[in-house]
Amino acid sequence: MTKLLELKNISHGSKESIRLKDINLTINQGEKIALIGKSGSGKSTLISIANGSLIPNEGDVTWKGSHIKNISNIESSKIGTIWQDLSLIEELNVAQNINCGALGKHNFIWALKNLLGVLDKGLCQDCLAAVSLPKKTIYSYINKLSGGQKKRIAIARLLRQEPEILLGDEPFSNLDPLLSKNILNLFINQKNYLRIKIPETILISLHQINLINNFNRVIGLKDGEIVIDRETLNINQSEFDCLY
Amino acid sequence: MKLIKPVSTLLTLIPSIAYIPILIEIIKGFHIGGLNIIFLFIKSAIKPSFNQEVVKSAWEGLQVTIATALTSWVISMLIGILLGVLSADLFWKSIPKFSYLGKFIKYSLAIPRSIHEVIWGLLFIQILGLNIWVAIISIVIPYSALTARVISEQLDSFDIQPLIALKKTGSNVISSFITILLPKLIPIVSTYGSYRFECAIRGVTLLGIFGLGGIGTELYLTLKSFEFNEMWTCLWMLWLVMILLEKFIRYLRSYLSENISLKNSFLISISIFSLSLSLGISWLYNLNFEIFTPLSFSYLNLPSFVEIRNGFSTLPLFKLIITTILITFFASGIAIGTPPILLVLFPGKFPLKVQNFIWIFFRLIPPPLTTILILLFTNPNISVAALSLGITHMGVMGRLLTDNILNQEKNIYRAIKSNGSSRKSATLYGILAPQSNNYLAYGAYRSDVILKETAIIGAVGGVGLGWQLQESLSSFDWAQVMIITATFSLLTISGEFLFNTSQNYWLKNSTNNFIS
Repeated sequence: MTKLLELKNISHGSKESIRLKDINLTINQGEKIALIGKSGSGKSTLISIANGSLIPNEGDVTWKGSHIKNISNIESSKIGTIWQDLSLIEELNVAQNINCGALGKHNFIWALKNLLGVLDKGLCQDCLAAVSLPKKTIYSYINKLSGGQKKRIAIARLLRQEPEILLGDEPFSNLDPLLSKNILNLFINQKNYLRIKIPETILISLHQINLINNFNRVIGLKDGEIVIDRETLNINQSEFDCLY
Repeated sequence: MKLIKPVSTLLTLIPSIAYIPILIEIIKGFHIGGLNIIFLFIKSAIKPSFNQEVVKSAWEGLQVTIATALTSWVISMLIGILLGVLSADLFWKSIPKFSYLGKFIKYSLAIPRSIHEVIWGLLFIQILGLNIWVAIISIVIPYSALTARVISEQLDSFDIQPLIALKKTGSNVISSFITILLPKLIPIVSTYGSYRFECAIRGVTLLGIFGLGGIGTELYLTLKSFEFNEMWTCLWMLWLVMILLEKFIRYLRSYLSENISLKNSFLISISIFSLSLSLGISWLYNLNFEIFTPLSFSYLNLPSFVEIRNGFSTLPLFKLIITTILITFFASGIAIGTPPILLVLFPGKFPLKVQNFIWIFFRLIPPPLTTILILLFTNPNISVAALSLGITHMGVMGRLLTDNILNQEKNIYRAIKSNGSSRKSATLYGILAPQSNNYLAYGAYRSDVILKETAIIGAVGGVGLGWQLQESLSSFDWAQVMIITATFSLLTISGEFLFNTSQNYWLKNSTNNFIS
């Protein structure tokens, strides 16, 4: 199995609260991991550290063997994140936001051109179709959309990025059960959707326990520590009860 | 690629295209003669004069400026608050029978607001001579009107329901009004008041350049005699005072915004006004100004109808108006477009600090002095005036942008950067884009200020309505003075309407609060 991301001896927090404590975690290519835990258990912090946007107080994060601080922009573009706060740009339209996912693959001039008009319209519309939004949505402005629609745009942006690994921070909150199931099915079971390559490896934090069976590995966090880390098949209900 | 309407992010960058025609004109009129002097000016920045007499003179000038600004500021704030309340629709909702009075006050205030304090100064010098009250009145008139407008707009943006509910309890009009409005008024006065005081210091400095004393006069005289070391002594001292003032105001604002009771906030505000006024007047008295001597008025021969008609035919009004509009257009382009361009082209914490320093530097030198410096190596034309105004206001816009960025949530930047984007792209999308609507709204307001300041630049730079006004005043042609002042007033009132509409459009679509 190819090691993609490795978190070694990660601890992070402040004097007032410990967010993560002694985290050791390896994510291999092809794994579908569910990250579960109570609110405040450290899931978002773990995802932020894993994608390199947050530097831990202690420990190291490596991507394919290299320290995450030292990887090139091209390698960074292979790590995709769906943020809990979405981090969409309200001042831009849907297409421009989706294309933000591809900024890592293009130069600054392309970034400027993206502000002038709709680039790669076909690819943007494929991403929208993947999250069950109509094609014409590409011209809408983010500030006119509902919470659920914004969440889907954030997912579409990640699809546009075509990363090798997907780190999702509660990507299914604000989505109805059917939509959540369809999008999860896309991530778990599909390699491509139209012209879009779906990430092979995923780590998704969620609260919907009923969705866990779709994953092949479960990591449970409690008070910043990993208390569960095994295959989904080997987990029993009492462990979930302990976690929550 | 299908083109869509330009997003606000791009619209923050596009105005910098103004540099192209400006620099072409400046290069066309370029002469090498004054370059040595420019280098001397720049070199003197790091070698100001520490001569005792120079420092003493600069310090005296600063005292005059601060004392005058303090006095003018208090008087204009008090009058402005009163007029603001009286011109607010909210006030007259309690007594709708007299609401026409509120409208009358509101629209009348457009005229004093439309005329720059330097123009008021030039006009009042003719009537009152060189007198410290000329500087004070020249600041009070427009600033009261500006303050009144802000106060009335803020009051009118509040929900009227609590006022109606209170009135229904049987409370009288004044009691209801005070109960509802006072808690809202104090934070507005605190925020806007501090900004106005900084403007007052800049305004008095500008008046000094036109002969009304203070540090402005020192700056002008030292520049004209090419004593750049002495000029930089004055500039650095002024800068130091502005920095200390900024820090003091920030401290005061954070203290007032903490959980202190309404009663204490009110008492502190009253104390600040009373102390400031007493300090200002006693300071001017100690500086040997005849502050309590009755003013003597010079009689002015008002022009006849025939003289006014002749004035219209002799003045190239259309050309002057177009020139003034062009100066505003290009200066606004430079002021609005430069900070975002630098931000995106040079991203990062250290470049941001360097840019912040540049903005402080550019804000320091009043536009008329920049004009005089530029005229050392090029011929007078629209570009010189536009560049001078653009440089100073670029400093204001730049500072606001960097201040806002420092307070901005970095989550979007972090998200864009983490997907492998370059720093430039991440800055463009993650830092500039979320600020863009508010930045453009403030840019619209700045353009309004730039339009008013074209009067003073023109007077120094030999172009536009300002230059013509100076010429007409020098030749005591009161008909021309009246026509030009009225034209300028109409132009700025129209500009105010246009820029206000633009500002409201951007604010409606913004998602961030801009520090103003």
